[in-house]
Amino acid sequence: MTPEEILAQLKQEFGDAITESEVRGVELRLTVKPEVNWEVCRLLRDIGFEYLNCISGADWLTHLEVVCDLSSLQHPNKVHLRVPVDRNNPVVRTVSNIWRGADWHERECYDMFGVRFDGHPDHRRILLPEDWVGFPLRKDYTDERLVPYTEYGMEEKLPKAEGEKAGPKEARPLKPPTPPQPAKS
Amino acid sequence: MEGPVPIGTTAVIERTGETMEEMYVNMGPQHPSTHGVLRLMLKLDGEYIVDCIPYIGYLHRCHEKIGENRNYTQIIPYTDRLDYLASMSMNFGYVLAVERLMGQKIPERAEFMRVILAELQRIASHLIWLGTFGLDLGNFTIFMYCFREREMVLDLFESVTGQRLNYSFYRIGGMPMDFPETFLTDCQTFLEWFKQRLPEYDAIMTDNVLFQKRVQGVGACSPQVAVDYALSGPMLRACGIKWDLRRNDPYSIYDRFDFEIPVYDTCDVWARYMVRRKEMEESVKIVEQALAQLPPGEVMAKMPKTIKPPAGQIYSRAESPRGEIGFYIISDGSPKPYRYKVRSPAYVNLSALPEMLKGSLIADCVAVLGSVDIVLGEIDR
Repeated sequence: MTPEEILAQLKQEFGDAITESEVRGVELRLTVKPEVNWEVCRLLRDIGFEYLNCISGADWLTHLEVVCDLSSLQHPNKVHLRVPVDRNNPVVRTVSNIWRGADWHERECYDMFGVRFDGHPDHRRILLPEDWVGFPLRKDYTDERLVPYTEYGMEEKLPKAEGEKAGPKEARPLKPPTPPQPAKS
Repeated sequence: MEGPVPIGTTAVIERTGETMEEMYVNMGPQHPSTHGVLRLMLKLDGEYIVDCIPYIGYLHRCHEKIGENRNYTQIIPYTDRLDYLASMSMNFGYVLAVERLMGQKIPERAEFMRVILAELQRIASHLIWLGTFGLDLGNFTIFMYCFREREMVLDLFESVTGQRLNYSFYRIGGMPMDFPETFLTDCQTFLEWFKQRLPEYDAIMTDNVLFQKRVQGVGACSPQVAVDYALSGPMLRACGIKWDLRRNDPYSIYDRFDFEIPVYDTCDVWARYMVRRKEMEESVKIVEQALAQLPPGEVMAKMPKTIKPPAGQIYSRAESPRGEIGFYIISDGSPKPYRYKVRSPAYVNLSALPEMLKGSLIADCVAVLGSVDIVLGEIDR
């Protein structure tokens, strides 16, 4: 089965719910609506994509995205499936009842992006502590403990706070070394 | 089980009409056999394990968030810290992903260097697994044997890279420098020595009846479950599925070498041991062939000073000693990745641990956990 045939079958089944598609060699790249995510995954599994490589997320500022990478142990084809979800209410149906390996991947996606997986058997944070606030891999995540990253040697070019002089920092005057004190007897 | 379970409590539950006691026992995070900071909550029915919940994240250090704030070259040293027992393989997987994204070709000699170092790393990683696995089961001698040989591999790596654990030696576009002059003869000497040591391992482990009784028929995991959980590496091959990315989705120059993919179909801890034991032999074969064919020439391609892959995304996978290491990178054309995700093999393999432990004796827990070959550095990222 070539990626083109798989795409034709998916298009016939789901029609407009597949919003974007592209074939790159043996890889089929799809974007589907979140409403049919589970059904598409189910069909893909039935036609041989029994191996779930990875589920991850991405934050595009306008929306979040859940990304599944599928492959097969029988044929060389791969599927790269992207599901855009609403950023304010990110809910998508779980695929952990299709591939059980999706369980931890989905928990990690929830942990990092806050995407909720409807029907997930064990919906908890996985890498972060359970009382953690916020979702760190979102682009607007802030934490007062985060130190802004600067390129090495670029510190001078950063905008300065008011009253602080621009330009390279002055060298700190070195203290003259103190001579060792004789031990008190 | 719903909700967090208080430690050390005994819950009385009703099952099949009769009341029985089930007990929760906490294993880790400070436990010598969890190979790092892993916590397992074991639900016991007498001596038998009914359920197991792994708690991870003690070593979480925002690897992916850091990656989004560093440029492509700066990420390489961080990938070392993923799987600190197989840093070369992690470097390899990462630079491969970026090179695939850029469509970059690298010089022939660099490809051979990469394969030689990655396969030596596989031997070192399997040695440390074998040693600590033996130690878990009470066999101290094999631990000393394995560390003796691993030390030699580390000496080889030190002569090449100057480092003994976190090498950061692969670069996007090739390798930073050539092998030192003595490396080829040293490597040959090591391989000859190592081939003669393998029967010693067999004598002390494979043919050892006590060891066999501890591992045979323990921690079984059917091939269907293995594929369902997307296990990879030796875990998958121990379930009788002949799947190795070096052969099935060839990257670098692995398609030029002649080597076997060891497969065992008993699906238990014994099969996992045998697969790794045989893989060491196959790695020796690959290194020997690569050393014989090593071409002369450059080791670094012409690369721009700032690496800016074209906008796009890629999921690239490679075979690390633990299984499929995948890097998912979204590039927006800037010097830093927009999104950087690591699919670590041990994370996925560990997620199937409850499936393997259910119904086994608590005494076998350590053997089963040891056979998964976890490295918490890459699980927690």
